[in-house]
Amino acid sequence: MYHPRDIIDTIAGNLRTTRNPFGIPHFLVNRWWRKANLPRRGDAMLFTGLMYQFIPYIETSTGYLAKYEESPLARYLRYARYAPGYLSGLGLAMITPSREKQNFDRILRDIVRILKASQVDLYYRPELDRYSGILLYDLGDQETFVAHARWLANRLKRAGVRKLITVDPHTTYALKELFPKYTGTSFDVHPYFELLRLNGHTIQRTVTLHDPCFYGRYLGLSDVPARALAGLGITCVEVDRSGAFTHCCGGPAESISPKLAGEVGRRRLAQLEATGAPIVAMCPICLANLRKLGADVQDLSSVMVQGI
Amino acid sequence: MTLLSPDFAEELKEFSDDSALACFNCGTCVAICPLIDAHFPRRMIRYVQIGARERILENATELWKCLHCGLCTQTCPREANPGEILLGLKRLIVNHWRKKA
Repeated sequence: MYHPRDIIDTIAGNLRTTRNPFGIPHFLVNRWWRKANLPRRGDAMLFTGLMYQFIPYIETSTGYLAKYEESPLARYLRYARYAPGYLSGLGLAMITPSREKQNFDRILRDIVRILKASQVDLYYRPELDRYSGILLYDLGDQETFVAHARWLANRLKRAGVRKLITVDPHTTYALKELFPKYTGTSFDVHPYFELLRLNGHTIQRTVTLHDPCFYGRYLGLSDVPARALAGLGITCVEVDRSGAFTHCCGGPAESISPKLAGEVGRRRLAQLEATGAPIVAMCPICLANLRKLGADVQDLSSVMVQGI
Repeated sequence: MTLLSPDFAEELKEFSDDSALACFNCGTCVAICPLIDAHFPRRMIRYVQIGARERILENATELWKCLHCGLCTQTCPREANPGEILLGLKRLIVNHWRKKA
């Protein structure tokens, strides 16, 4: 286990100086939209919060954290906070495989495709699509989280944004619950699957849908993606522990202790694999952590896009 | 010997809604927690109840094992909010580290 303070100070320092928890320049991390041909005006703005885009970088950095977690070198992480954010961010961007970046970018383009197929009038402004700061909230750095959230809320408000379409549970929770509470600014926030109108019944298959904690428990939204899948003829098998009682994938622990993240994740994976049906995730953190444990997991959007 | 701080609940209020006094130590949170760790998160809740500030500071890094998954809060029969208390303790500790620096 790493000392939480080393992780928090590094992430907080990067967020304060670069608005990115890893220090990666925005134009490098947010590139998926270039091939998506999206309008800049419409009814609702797609807001990714950069979580899917971050996963390849998280995988690279936690790979190193896992390697040194129980070695004497772990204590040197305390010096990471002194490295200039953009410098370490550029380094991380360079050693992260581009194939992984493309895989996660494709998920976002699939989400756009199914939203368009549902006649959703969406628009996208890449310069406004920034990280929500949710990791620092979870880690207990309230001061940095609130300062960042206020910056982002003001930026969106000034740009006239009112309605947001989100793609992951952590960003959805931050914008829906935490921003009104800590910034005083509210937006009309909808996870993308709430807006889907896909009733083709085109795929006849059964899947195991893993409910992430923030959709299943904190936001009580488990039924919505299951209904959207049913519209395409896809049935969700019952999982031991789901909905409000869903089991964590272990992912939230990966920055402090990759070992602990693996232990918790393996317990969840056993529950999911017990169904025998292919596993589907709808959170980038869950997707990455379960895949890391060797599971063949698809994103919800990758399954749905096959039906349009 | 552990020194207790009777005003610890007041100190925690700045960082969290403190529902620790609602806890009657049934252990449901320990049974449901994905960490399967001895006395997690109940031990920390107990420290809050009795004002064992020093013990919390000594074991502070343990708090970050919490995944913030919310299962303890979901299942608490007293409708206390152990997840929020642990998050509040993290905030208090981060604040303590920064002040110390």
